[in-house]
Amino acid sequence: MAEPLFDNEFLKKLEYLELIARRLVFGRQQAARQSIRKGASVEFKDFREYSPGDDPRTVDWSVYARLGTLVIKLFRQEQELDLWILLDGSGSMAFGEPAKFDHARRIAAALAYIGMADMDSASVMPFGDSLRPARQRLRGRGRIFELLEYLERLTAEGRTDLETTVKSFVARVRRPGLVVVLSDFYGLQSAQRAIDQLRFFKHELFVIQVASPWEFDPPIRGELRLIDVESTAHDDLTITDGMLRRYKQAFQRLGADLRSYGMKYSIGHALARTDEAFDDFIVALLQHGGLVA
Amino acid sequence: MTLLAPWALWFLLTGGAVVALYLLKIRRQRQSVPSLDFWLALAGPLKPRSLFQRLKRWLSMALWLLIVVSLVLAIGNPVLSLGTVKPQSIAIIIDNSASMQSVDDPKRAETRLRRAIASVGEMVDRRPVDDEWLLIDSGYTPRVAQSWTRDRRSIRDAADAIRPHLGSTDLNAAVRLARQLLEGKSPQAIVIMTDGAAGEAARLAESDASITVWPIGEADDNLGITLLRVRPHRQQAQHFAFLRVANASKSEVQSQVVLELDGATIAVEPFTVAAEWQWEKAIPISASQGGVLRAWIDRPDVLPLDNEAFAILEPLRPARVVLVSDDREAYFFEQALLAMDVLVDSAESQTLTLADYESSSAAAKDPADLTIFNNCAPKNTPESGAIVFVNRWPEDLPIRINGTLSKPALSLVRRDHPLMEYITLGAASVTEAHDVTLTDRATVLADAGGASPLVFVIQQPGRTALCVGFDVLQSDLPVRNAFPILLRNAVVHLVAEQDAWVRDQYRVGEAIESIRPLPASVGSVTVIRGKPGVSPEQTLPVRDGLFRYDDTGHAGPVRLRFGEEAAYCAVNLTDEAETRIAPPQGLPAPEERLGLSQRLFSAVPWLALAVFAAGLIGLEWLTYHYRWTE
Repeated sequence: MAEPLFDNEFLKKLEYLELIARRLVFGRQQAARQSIRKGASVEFKDFREYSPGDDPRTVDWSVYARLGTLVIKLFRQEQELDLWILLDGSGSMAFGEPAKFDHARRIAAALAYIGMADMDSASVMPFGDSLRPARQRLRGRGRIFELLEYLERLTAEGRTDLETTVKSFVARVRRPGLVVVLSDFYGLQSAQRAIDQLRFFKHELFVIQVASPWEFDPPIRGELRLIDVESTAHDDLTITDGMLRRYKQAFQRLGADLRSYGMKYSIGHALARTDEAFDDFIVALLQHGGLVA
Repeated sequence: MTLLAPWALWFLLTGGAVVALYLLKIRRQRQSVPSLDFWLALAGPLKPRSLFQRLKRWLSMALWLLIVVSLVLAIGNPVLSLGTVKPQSIAIIIDNSASMQSVDDPKRAETRLRRAIASVGEMVDRRPVDDEWLLIDSGYTPRVAQSWTRDRRSIRDAADAIRPHLGSTDLNAAVRLARQLLEGKSPQAIVIMTDGAAGEAARLAESDASITVWPIGEADDNLGITLLRVRPHRQQAQHFAFLRVANASKSEVQSQVVLELDGATIAVEPFTVAAEWQWEKAIPISASQGGVLRAWIDRPDVLPLDNEAFAILEPLRPARVVLVSDDREAYFFEQALLAMDVLVDSAESQTLTLADYESSSAAAKDPADLTIFNNCAPKNTPESGAIVFVNRWPEDLPIRINGTLSKPALSLVRRDHPLMEYITLGAASVTEAHDVTLTDRATVLADAGGASPLVFVIQQPGRTALCVGFDVLQSDLPVRNAFPILLRNAVVHLVAEQDAWVRDQYRVGEAIESIRPLPASVGSVTVIRGKPGVSPEQTLPVRDGLFRYDDTGHAGPVRLRFGEEAAYCAVNLTDEAETRIAPPQGLPAPEERLGLSQRLFSAVPWLALAVFAAGLIGLEWLTYHYRWTE
């Protein structure tokens, strides 16, 4: 009998992770979050040069008196922060031992729990070639069982089309939120286009690349018929030592490209290996990953 | 081409397994990957696109099939047939005699026996595997080294285990044994691996078509001592060594023989011997104390074994003679014995009357070398020793007196007998003689003109009796030369013969046995090979007065001791057949006679094919698998 995806131990870990999250990230501001966006608020954030169209009430006249330059005051905008978790549920996520999808679901559950406890709402939206039925805007810890039950029922199958998925997402979610994308990110160019769309709609982004040890060092050699787990397409290849070397380099480059793309556009990035414990990953993410400012 | 092990063809079925494995291999192993496009982007240039690349797999399979065929042929032991090779029952006789210890090529230092053993391996490798083999080594007596078998390895191992016999051999006996063991088998063949045994092998081959001689050896340059005998000459108080050296080569040879007595050189005899001829010489040796005589040829040749020979010189001492006679009739005997001062120990000899003799206990304890009974006889014949009975003899001798012969004409029957040496009886006058009949075996030396034996020798275990059937004082013998000469001959030959209970010479490998029963029926004989006190002694049991000593595998002197009695003999090769080492000529090639096949390769076929298969494996790896490790 297969091991249950979410057991009591998992729940205990969620509690622990939530405490860690509260202490590290949310402790300073209790339930309210400061948006990294600037807006109308009582708390001063920054100055900016005046440009036509700005509210004249925000001009700092004392600065103008001293420097002769029109600048406006920017205030931290208080707003609701929604957590949107886009979970890749395509066939490629079923690959690996343990399956990448299982690992991704655990991470999604952990992040959603933290979001439900300490943020305004959390949503988990699985996708393949399009968005699949989701659990949206869950609030309060009490909804965690509903979410876990939902996640447990999910299966990884079909192709991936992040671009189409994101199109559907931005059409449905207008208010900017924190979007975490959990995927293996094969087909990086298509993924980048999708991420660009999310950026365009002012979403904060965090990408988590899920990978199995097999993908880092595939133990295969010789005359093989390779079968794509998503499309079941196949082709015959001779896997030589040289080719394995090139594969490893290419896979390392995939992660590196994703990371450099994220750094370029202030998008958080993390690599989740399926042979590492998910809770360790979450703790590391909370400590160093910059998931929440 | 013939496969000597055709059953190996069954292994070709493994070729089917190879094909099956390749078909399985061609059905590629399936491997799921998260993204095929990701792999295809990398593998583009390595995908088998060209026809050659697609054929590589089939080329690999073809190479493996060729490897299988090569290995199967290697196991099958292929040969090129000279003709139809039919299975036979083949008895191999290996001549392991002394001549097979010849080393034809000093650089290779390989004896003929080792070459013969190698030839056995070569022969069985080139014959069908269905052949049945028997291996005999000729030795001193033939021995079955390996009974009938089809296992060629057993034959090779048995041949390899054959050890040299350092003496002569009898190939006829080996062939007789082979024929006996071949009985009922057909077709059959006998193969003799020999250097010829001085033509004996060739004669056997000519007499029997089923016999094939496999000649071993080439050289013929050999000198050998073929005879060394020593006789004591009591009269001259010295020994004479008779020496014969044979030259087996086809050229005249000059060399020398060195004679050593107990390790000290006493003579060097140079000689010249013509091609395939002999040189002989009688050499006097003054050594009354006796010793071990070693003769050796001072010339290296291909067979050192026959370059030396041994003989034992027995100590010479004057004989102690007891004359039992009435004093009045003893005069002529005493005078004759006194004249033999070299041969007879006058101080120890004595004349006794019959009464004194029979009352003397010393006579029984310390018997004389020779006891002469003149006109008298004890009740019973002495149990041992040499005895002369004149005109009377004990009743226990196998002589029946029929009556009396008046004036018989004395005539010699055995002029060649040592006791009759130098004796002429032509005009001897005898007044009266016994008419006797010998009821048991005896040697008649003289008789009454073909009628009753008058002088005869009766040999019984432990004693020899010379009987004269008439009263010599009633004849003119005492005044003829024949009388003292007869007594001299009796002292020289009867005493000498009486001392020996073994022969003076034995062949290597021949058992030393007592030629007459020892004085006691039980006890032990001590045997010493080498120097007394240095070399180890061996004790042999005596049963019924007989013993047997078998450890005569090499030449040398042998000393034997039974109580106070000593005996000496020598073990020698000294066989002209062994010295003549030239291999037989003009015989048909054994390869043709035996229908031996030619090897496909100069090296061992299976090894060559195995190397070929290994090369194919390397080629297959280079052309196919190597790119996996690019």
